[in-house]
Amino acid sequence: MPVRVVESSAPSQITGGNNEHSLPPACTLLSVGQAFAGTQNVSSLQKDEAWRVNVRIQGCDLDHGYLCGTMEALNVPLADTPVVTFWEGEIVDTKNYTFFTGKWEATPEDDIRHWSKFPSFNPLLSQVEADGGKSLDLSNYPYIFMRWKEQYFVNVGIDCGLTIAGFYYVCFSCSDGSINGFYYDPNSSPFQKLELKSTNEGRSGFSFSSYQLQ
Amino acid sequence: MPASASSNNRPPDLLCRLNSGDEDTKLKALREVKNQIIGNKTKKLSYIKLGAVPTVVDILGTASDSDTCLLIQSAAVIGSFSCGVDVGVKAVLDSGAFPHLFRILSNSDDKVVDAAARSLRMIFQSKLAPKYYFLEEEKLEFLLSLLNSENENVTGLGASIISHSCETSAEQMVLSEAGVLERLITLLEGSLNLRDVSLESLAAIIKNNSEIISKFVNLDSGRALSLIKELVKDRYPRTRLLACMVLIAIGQSSPCHLRDIGIRTKLILTLVELLEESDRVGDEAPFALARLISDKEDLHKLALEVDVLIKLCKFLSKVPIHAKRLEGILVALSELCSKLENCRSQFLTLQVLHLVTDALKHDLAEVRTAACICIRSVTRSVKNLSAGHYFNEMTVIPLVQLLHDPCTSVQVAALGAISNIVVDFKIRKSTFIQCGGVKHLVQLSKSMDAVLRLNAVLALRNLMFLLDKNGKECILLELTISTLASLICDPEPSIQEQALALVRNLVDGCVDSIEHVFSEDGLIINSVGRQVSTASKPEVCVQGMYVLSNVAAGNELHKEAVMHHLLQPEASEYTQSVIIKFLQGSDSQLRTASVWGVVNLTYPGSPGASDRYARLRDAGIISQIKSMVNDPCLDAKFRVRTVLEQCMTFPSSSA
Repeated sequence: MPVRVVESSAPSQITGGNNEHSLPPACTLLSVGQAFAGTQNVSSLQKDEAWRVNVRIQGCDLDHGYLCGTMEALNVPLADTPVVTFWEGEIVDTKNYTFFTGKWEATPEDDIRHWSKFPSFNPLLSQVEADGGKSLDLSNYPYIFMRWKEQYFVNVGIDCGLTIAGFYYVCFSCSDGSINGFYYDPNSSPFQKLELKSTNEGRSGFSFSSYQLQ
Repeated sequence: MPASASSNNRPPDLLCRLNSGDEDTKLKALREVKNQIIGNKTKKLSYIKLGAVPTVVDILGTASDSDTCLLIQSAAVIGSFSCGVDVGVKAVLDSGAFPHLFRILSNSDDKVVDAAARSLRMIFQSKLAPKYYFLEEEKLEFLLSLLNSENENVTGLGASIISHSCETSAEQMVLSEAGVLERLITLLEGSLNLRDVSLESLAAIIKNNSEIISKFVNLDSGRALSLIKELVKDRYPRTRLLACMVLIAIGQSSPCHLRDIGIRTKLILTLVELLEESDRVGDEAPFALARLISDKEDLHKLALEVDVLIKLCKFLSKVPIHAKRLEGILVALSELCSKLENCRSQFLTLQVLHLVTDALKHDLAEVRTAACICIRSVTRSVKNLSAGHYFNEMTVIPLVQLLHDPCTSVQVAALGAISNIVVDFKIRKSTFIQCGGVKHLVQLSKSMDAVLRLNAVLALRNLMFLLDKNGKECILLELTISTLASLICDPEPSIQEQALALVRNLVDGCVDSIEHVFSEDGLIINSVGRQVSTASKPEVCVQGMYVLSNVAAGNELHKEAVMHHLLQPEASEYTQSVIIKFLQGSDSQLRTASVWGVVNLTYPGSPGASDRYARLRDAGIISQIKSMVNDPCLDAKFRVRTVLEQCMTFPSSSA
């Protein structure tokens, strides 16, 4: 039963000065309550190592390019329990945030180097090099680029021997709900890869919850 | 002897003398009453209780036009009774003073006219004063004659009548066309009293009327607007406040005239500075500030930059604080924290939450409401909800107690704050459940008042979000299946929507939780199915479809039940199934939710998936899905692809 699918995934330029329509698409797989599971590769020259990671989206505000949630690292050496952190995300929507981080010790070169690790970023590269991607319309692009920055430890103290100094360059695929990321911290191993998949938590299908702040 | 003199001037004695037949005795008694009640609220109340007001009004009504002394003194006493005391205004109006005072405005003696005008101005300052219907031509002419009078008190009365009675756009237009704006601008250069009352009238005439604002800002090549901007810097606090209010009214309806960052900053700083004033001005300033920044994120940013939050919190800590001012500060804080995370974050850093929590127990309902709304704004921060640092029993317990408040607006505001607090995250959900909060929410979800019912169901929905198995059972035990079913079928669509969202959260998570919708002969699932088929509001159908989609992510029996509800013809055998209607509809969220349902029904690996696929295909649903591969909504389009990819695995898919 093959069906021809018309591709319309190429990013387009924003025409005129109106950025109103450039917000990324709302995606149910990236909505509050959704869970993801996978690994973060923390290998160094000395040894290969990967931590199992669970992520849960807790808040989403597309108008402000904001996403937040928790990240649970499961088999962290030296930690008795899984380590849970709370993170906040900046969605690259060219309205609230561009591809250039402009903080957290990340230079535009660091940004390009990390974003370029995502194949889905390649079509955008030249425009991002030109203006940080400000003139791109990502509203119909099937990938959502984000930066996730851990803000605090939820269940352990800051003296747990772990650091949350860095941040993640993240790429979410609207089509299958997968998340790829690269951890950036000048003082940690470079390009630690985060790979997550949307999880249905033992159900035979996808389930969605929601809340409404007053 | 002083003792005997004072006993003659006791209220009952004076009242006797007011009723005397001798004019001189009456006049002296009027003067004495006037002296006693000026600025003395207790005395005023005591005379009002004794029934002095009708006696004084009677003197005014029966005095002839030439009895000027009696007219002046009785009008003055009536004015004094009406000043700052609503019961006094009510007594004056009930005694029929109004027509008498208007009558003597045309007296030939200027002093009589002055006294009547002053007295009427006092009355028009009260909300109890009747509206003056100046749309009638004769009345408009009279009003204009007052406004154009040479007598300052009479002019002031005209302006007071406008600020009290001008409400509708038709009334605003009539005054504008009659040249009132121009006259009021001239009056701004008069005495302090005239200036203030003119500013109040201007605010009333331009409020929510962009056409009149446009005329006003262009008056005299913009001189009028410049004049108002200058008055924001006036040396008199009340004038500054009123000038701010005129500019706020302009900014609300026509923001283009208030773009300049300089004047916006000046307005914010002036209003915060006015909080230093100990009188009514200081009480009203925070309300004006709240109106200025209401719903305007750019102004929230600006206010944050000039330390408004810090200053408001400093005033909040001042003890004692007048109730009206406390309410105003809480309202301003809630506006400021309503949108920006930076504002909420600074509010929490300033560690004043306990002061807001204290205000939850205030004697005045308005203050309690404002405190709830402030907590509601601050708790919009998912970051802080997740950290759980700031919200504990100290906040939750008084909020839960307010669910029984005698005042409905307090109950609704408390529900708003609770709705946010219970969203997340483990610690506070259990705190809330342990302190008996569920019981109170359930009670309110059965209220006859639709607003209370809606907000209670919304709070339960948020509490149900990512709740563990025990918590869900605790809510259902209290709520009962039958109440939940009746909420799904509530007459109000907004309540249906929240009740369905609640069920959506109930059946999310552990597969076992799906069983709840099948208990009591499937009361819930049947209600959901019925509502999805019959509801006209897309928001209701979206939530209903997500309930069915979540159920379809369960076991075979769950999936089959959803098939049953979705494939039923909508009304008769000749009409299409409800899901086809949704898939063909214009609401992208509803299309997406419906496609998710099909994704789950055809989810690979479940034994009956292939059979369900065949039935969905026979019902025309798969071909409908195929036609959506280029759906304009990216989310729907990708889910359509998921369905089609899943279907490729079924042996019958090539058919």
